[in-house]
Amino acid sequence: MKHTEKEIQLLKDEVKLMWKLVISQLENAKKAMLNNDIALATKIIRNENDVNTFELKVDNLCENFIALNNPVAIDLRLALSLIKISSSLERIGDFTDGIARFITDKECETLDPDLIERLNIEKMFDTLLGMLLDGFVAFETEQTKVSEKIISKDDQVDEIYNNVFETLATHIKNNPAQTICMLKLLLLIRKLERIGDHNNNIVEEIVFFVDARVLKHSGSNNF
Amino acid sequence: MIEAKNVNFYYHTFHALKDINMQIEDNSVTALIGPSGCGKSTFLRLFNRMNDEIDGAKLTGECLINNENIYHKSVQVDLLRKNVGMVFQKPNPFPKSILENVAYGLRVNGINNKQLIEEKVKESLTAAALWNEVKDKLHKSAFELSGGQQQRLCIARALAVSPSILLMDEPASALDPISTAKIEELIFELKQRYTIIIVTHNMQQAARVSDKTGFFMYGELVEHSETKKMFLAPDKTETQNYITGRFG
Amino acid sequence: MIISKKTKEQIAFAIFRILGIITLGVLIWILGFICFNGISVMSWDFIFSYPEEGMTSGGIFPAIVGTLYLVLGSIIIAFPLGVMSAIYTVEYAKNNWVTKLIRIMTNNLASIPSIVFGLFGMTLFVNTLAFGDSIIAGSLTLSLLILPVVIRTTEEALKAVPNTYRTGSMALGANKIQTIKRIILPTAFPNIITGLVLSIGRVSGETAPILFTVVAYFLPKLPSSIFDQVMALPYHLYVLATSGTDIEKSRPVAYGTALVLIIIVLLMNTVAGVIKNQFQKNKK
Repeated sequence: MKHTEKEIQLLKDEVKLMWKLVISQLENAKKAMLNNDIALATKIIRNENDVNTFELKVDNLCENFIALNNPVAIDLRLALSLIKISSSLERIGDFTDGIARFITDKECETLDPDLIERLNIEKMFDTLLGMLLDGFVAFETEQTKVSEKIISKDDQVDEIYNNVFETLATHIKNNPAQTICMLKLLLLIRKLERIGDHNNNIVEEIVFFVDARVLKHSGSNNF
Repeated sequence: MIEAKNVNFYYHTFHALKDINMQIEDNSVTALIGPSGCGKSTFLRLFNRMNDEIDGAKLTGECLINNENIYHKSVQVDLLRKNVGMVFQKPNPFPKSILENVAYGLRVNGINNKQLIEEKVKESLTAAALWNEVKDKLHKSAFELSGGQQQRLCIARALAVSPSILLMDEPASALDPISTAKIEELIFELKQRYTIIIVTHNMQQAARVSDKTGFFMYGELVEHSETKKMFLAPDKTETQNYITGRFG
Repeated sequence: MIISKKTKEQIAFAIFRILGIITLGVLIWILGFICFNGISVMSWDFIFSYPEEGMTSGGIFPAIVGTLYLVLGSIIIAFPLGVMSAIYTVEYAKNNWVTKLIRIMTNNLASIPSIVFGLFGMTLFVNTLAFGDSIIAGSLTLSLLILPVVIRTTEEALKAVPNTYRTGSMALGANKIQTIKRIILPTAFPNIITGLVLSIGRVSGETAPILFTVVAYFLPKLPSSIFDQVMALPYHLYVLATSGTDIEKSRPVAYGTALVLIIIVLLMNTVAGVIKNQFQKNKK
């Protein structure tokens, strides 16, 4: 293998490790949320530091790769997209951390499982995990056929998000004591919605890397 | 380890190197960059004493290899040059067969055992990533090879006398991109076993192949640091101006 | 009138072509003339027998042998000496005023008339060193004559060896002598041979330097040592053409002699050329 190819492999490996960590963080967040597992939530908060370290490392590797190897074409696209992907992954990590902090919040220790059910939060988590995992596979195999499918999943997330207001408003009306907690829950759901957006960004970067196509700001009618 | 201590070098009255201090670790690649006439080639040639041949050359300070001053009068220049191989800008194979080109260094160093020479030739050509291309025409003239092959032959020729240090003076500047890439790949391989100092005008090349980079200007060593650092965040403005092409 | 660039070029080339043809024509005419007049006396007998009847008939064998001896003798002396001097001035001597002086002197030496060499040779070798009129005195004199040619051509040949060979060799730990012996001389050899060829032509054709140092008008036997006199083709030719017993009668013999001289020179050039090519083929 040529020297440059080795460097690229190293770079990809590092990003994949980061990706896997973020996936497991989100998975744990889902479990912790549904089971109200404070220990697991604490673990997520602890791991957040590793996600940040990964971002710095990937950025550093990309900077060196660009500075030393003067990449062009697909190599350049890879380096540029990895910088953005790592930044998106880090943001997802941040949101996950925020979710974990909500779970450990003493004020909202007991949430009505029925409410969680009605808000469709599990579905939201599953959709997001599916997107993140599909993105990982798309990057690993350098196949962009599934990109359309991944991005359309974000619409499902948005739909769930749009429906939570009414449910929450009703709940607050019936349980005014839980208002603050409900507002915090709304922020949590908002975070999940943002994770979906970042997943979309990641997919767009993968398409830019593999196919040299720019999907950003082009709307879904392009598919 | 290679070390330059307070090195000053003059051609007659021209002060070509000004108070250079530099340390180079074993099994590393150090690139020397800088504008033409900045003294980087002169500095390179100090370490196999190729500057000795030049009229009006004068050196002060110390050049050390493994803590031994190579300009001490007890040092035998031919033995030094055996230990410090050199590859030149233009491929310069001798008008001899491929085999005899590689064997030359052995022969002048008194080795005439045919079997030993053949072994060494094969070993060196393999190390220079040329063996597969020339193994069936070892007795053909070296001039039948392409430019890139000739340069790798010259590298093999230098390796044949088992040096520990390789000096390369713009080894790829006369070659096409494909041959250049091959030479660069070769440098990565050779790094495992040799200490390499390479002078290059090609900044990308310096960035790609070297661990550390020294930037020379007007005979001074402006900056010497990790290549990664040099090409991402150099300490000196002069370095930044040069590597970004803003110089002059 | 405006002449177009193209027409100008055509006119210039036409002039060059005509001049070239004239030169070639003259050469062919001379050679043809000598061949035509000399061919009548040519036979194995002419080459391998002695002159007879006051040189109006018979052969020129002693003169051929004499010329060969002189060529051989002068080359043996001048060639190593000249090559070594050239190696010194090109490879060793620093480029200072001494070297420059040597170079100027060498060039001057080349332009001294050959009769002066003859007189010098007579004074030094024949009289002072008391070699007498002999092959050794003649060869020494001739070698002085061709020394500048050998030095100049060898110098040029050495300078034509790319400097990168020298640095390449030195960088591998070779010293100067090894570099010269193994790289520079083999590379320069074909061009050095050119100098040798020029010298052979010069030596075999010169009359003046041998006039006072070696040649005899007529010798009934071949030389037995280097201290003997010999006959030589150019001098023989000169004598036949100017002061023979019967100039008119010996004219065919004179043309025959000239033809043999030309053939010998051509033959030696050819041999040198073959050596040169052989060497070039091996090296390149």
